[in-house]
Amino acid sequence: MAALTLPILFAHRVKELGEGVALREKKKGLWRRISWDEYDTHVRNFSLGLKSFGLRKGDRVSILGDNCPEWLYADLATQSAGGISVGVYPTNSYVQVKYILDHSQSRFVIVKDQEQADKILLIKDQLPFLEKMIVIDMKGLRKYDDPLLTSFHEVEEMGRRIHEGNPTLFQEMIDNTKSDDVAIIVYTSGTTGPPKGAMLSHQNITSVLDSFFEVIPISRWDSLVSVLPLCHVAERLFSLFIPMKSGCTINFAESIDTLQADMTEISPTIFLTVPRILEKIHSAITIKMQDAHPVKRWAYDQFLPLGQRVAERRLSKQDVSLFLRLAYFFAYLLVFRPLRNRLGLLQVRECVSGAAPLSKDIMKFFHSIGLMVKEAYGSTECTGVFSMPVGNDIEIGTTGKPIPGWEYKIASDGEILIKGPAVFAGYFRDEEATKNAKRDGWLYTGDIGEFDDQGNLKITDRKKEILITASGKNIAPSEIENRLKFSPFIKEAIVIGDRRPYLAALIQIDLDNVADWAQREGIPFTTFKSLSKDPEVYKLIQGEVEKANKEMSRIESIKKFVLLEKELDRDDDELTATMKVRREMIEKKYGDLIERLYK
Amino acid sequence: MPKLEVKNLNINFGGIRALNGVSFVVEGNQLFGLIGPNGAGKTTILNIINGVYHPSSGNIFLDDKDIVGLKPYQIANIGVGRTFQNIELFKNITVIDNLLLGRHRFIKAGILSGSFYLGKCLKEEMVNRDHIEEIIEFLEIEVYRKKIVRTLPYGIQKRVELGRALSMDPKILLLDEPCSGMNTEETEDMARFILDIKEEMGISIMMIEHNMEVVMDIADQICVINFGTKIAEGNPKEIQSDPKVIRAYLGED
Repeated sequence: MAALTLPILFAHRVKELGEGVALREKKKGLWRRISWDEYDTHVRNFSLGLKSFGLRKGDRVSILGDNCPEWLYADLATQSAGGISVGVYPTNSYVQVKYILDHSQSRFVIVKDQEQADKILLIKDQLPFLEKMIVIDMKGLRKYDDPLLTSFHEVEEMGRRIHEGNPTLFQEMIDNTKSDDVAIIVYTSGTTGPPKGAMLSHQNITSVLDSFFEVIPISRWDSLVSVLPLCHVAERLFSLFIPMKSGCTINFAESIDTLQADMTEISPTIFLTVPRILEKIHSAITIKMQDAHPVKRWAYDQFLPLGQRVAERRLSKQDVSLFLRLAYFFAYLLVFRPLRNRLGLLQVRECVSGAAPLSKDIMKFFHSIGLMVKEAYGSTECTGVFSMPVGNDIEIGTTGKPIPGWEYKIASDGEILIKGPAVFAGYFRDEEATKNAKRDGWLYTGDIGEFDDQGNLKITDRKKEILITASGKNIAPSEIENRLKFSPFIKEAIVIGDRRPYLAALIQIDLDNVADWAQREGIPFTTFKSLSKDPEVYKLIQGEVEKANKEMSRIESIKKFVLLEKELDRDDDELTATMKVRREMIEKKYGDLIERLYK
Repeated sequence: MPKLEVKNLNINFGGIRALNGVSFVVEGNQLFGLIGPNGAGKTTILNIINGVYHPSSGNIFLDDKDIVGLKPYQIANIGVGRTFQNIELFKNITVIDNLLLGRHRFIKAGILSGSFYLGKCLKEEMVNRDHIEEIIEFLEIEVYRKKIVRTLPYGIQKRVELGRALSMDPKILLLDEPCSGMNTEETEDMARFILDIKEEMGISIMMIEHNMEVVMDIADQICVINFGTKIAEGNPKEIQSDPKVIRAYLGED
């Protein structure tokens, strides 16, 4: 087993499942199936094609674009040829793309479409290492005659011809991969400073897979829809690596616009998500219910509290009485089941949320409709997963127990330290950051947390983000922020209060929902700015803040807040690629505004 | 490469001479812009090419074949597609059905096999559906596929109409104000689609458009009409600096 690498694992699955469905892609309105054999052929041809371009062992290949089967082919093909694949967020600006391509010294870049290709063409002169850009969808690009550019199809054709001439070459290439070779580099979006490239070896990934399957067994009959960006380690784990081990099916939606409908058609059994998406689903349901038919609205209003009662009893491990169970059964049939069906989440048996802390209220909401959302904790540096609840043993507010294979301890300052075969190989071309993160084999996660008496991990916050108020109390801002964000009218909240007498917040309203509310109330507005400045809107948010304050201790309550007059934006460096708030940047930028909160 | 040649076109409506000896050539795979003030006769030219009006005199050659005197459906059959200034879709059926209607000239199955969806008809429908799905993907209207046209936003309806014109596999497309009434973003999208149609599908395009920014940006050749007479022709640069054009647009002084 020691010599197991991802391409070898993939080959096992191909041999086992052959004609079975590996991927589905919606094209021309129909779901097209791609079997494991076809998957393998694409990977093989593309890999040989890359090789013929001169890809050497250890060379970096960047992939830039939205999720699609070719993304997976390119990734595996690179690894099969001994290369290292680097995913880049398709939403990155050309400046950010340039940083990653330059830092990783990529010789090849695979782009999805014209939009991404144009970014590369803009910066190609500043990328001395770049030799070829391979384009998946040539629409709008056929007239470009830049020698840098080749189509994905052409590379596959080259590979196919090579394979005909030398049918054993690809097998030799796979046999040459070593388990401690670096397989992928994941650039972390980092809330501070430029992104760092975390190197993950084949062994890191295969060992995390082994532990993962002990907690959530996934079979070939499971299916997932690939939605989150593939360059993120969690999505890569779910869309590429887990299927290699389990044989489950991955589905690609037609476009972002059709995602909802496509989800309903596929009805996946596994759902990997992030708090932001769950928040969005929750507020969409809340708002849409107001426009629903009165009978539907009545049923929803009656049954949701019932669902919540059952969910709370289950979460606190109390017995649910027969009467309640019966009532819940009816509520499920009449309301929750159709609702879940509409969301495309009817068949979901494992729903994992990660990347950021999830508010307890959102979690309870999904449990009420029978969707047992569980929170996992992990980071790129520990190959995605460290702890996760097993089965329905979910302790709200915790991220479950560490998965097998990890050693762990809590440092004296509360930082979580972990050790094991899946701790990453180091940051690419950054010795110093590596030394900071990895000392004596222990990974310093930078997160503060503790274990409860049952051994569940409770994350307090990022070490850097803990606030210490003027009175000396330590406060984790993310929990308070999540309480605020539970309101459908609040999209983003940043709690301030480090070395200050009380807590204050910068709040960004949710444009869609507040605009909808303003229309009902007959409040005229033109733009986001005019809406944020409206005194009625301020009152609305004040009510929401007070609601959140009620559930928190006096010291944790928000005394003052101000509404941001502009939406936070990635292009202004206020959010990371994963839409996390860059606190440091915002505190600097809105310094004046913050000062006014303390006058 | 299909080439459209308009020679000395005249048309009278009662006593009014709406077109007065207009001639121009749309070369193969060219984006040809037709501009001019309101009432200059631009749409009339499209209507003549289309066979809706018959000219008082003059000829129109498509690939050296004179098409004056043919009926509109015959002209459509030889590959002239068209969109209209005010959207002319079937409002109460779906996007797919509208596009399939554009495939009418390729559908040969009779009433009998059509009613019972028999072998040949089924095969034909699959081929044509496949074709329009390509257009749906091209125009990025997947999400509206099964929606009733009436319920769609204006900008999307314009796109669907373009899709219907494309679904008949035209050699040349006549677009009557494709960007009218659109916001900046919709206009940019439309301009990109028009360029892609020319470049990816190799279709010649003749376009009437009032949005000068768009015309100057994407047209290869521009012809300016005023009061039924051609006053200038050239590439965008030449047109922008032509004193006669400036006078027609800004008035005489």
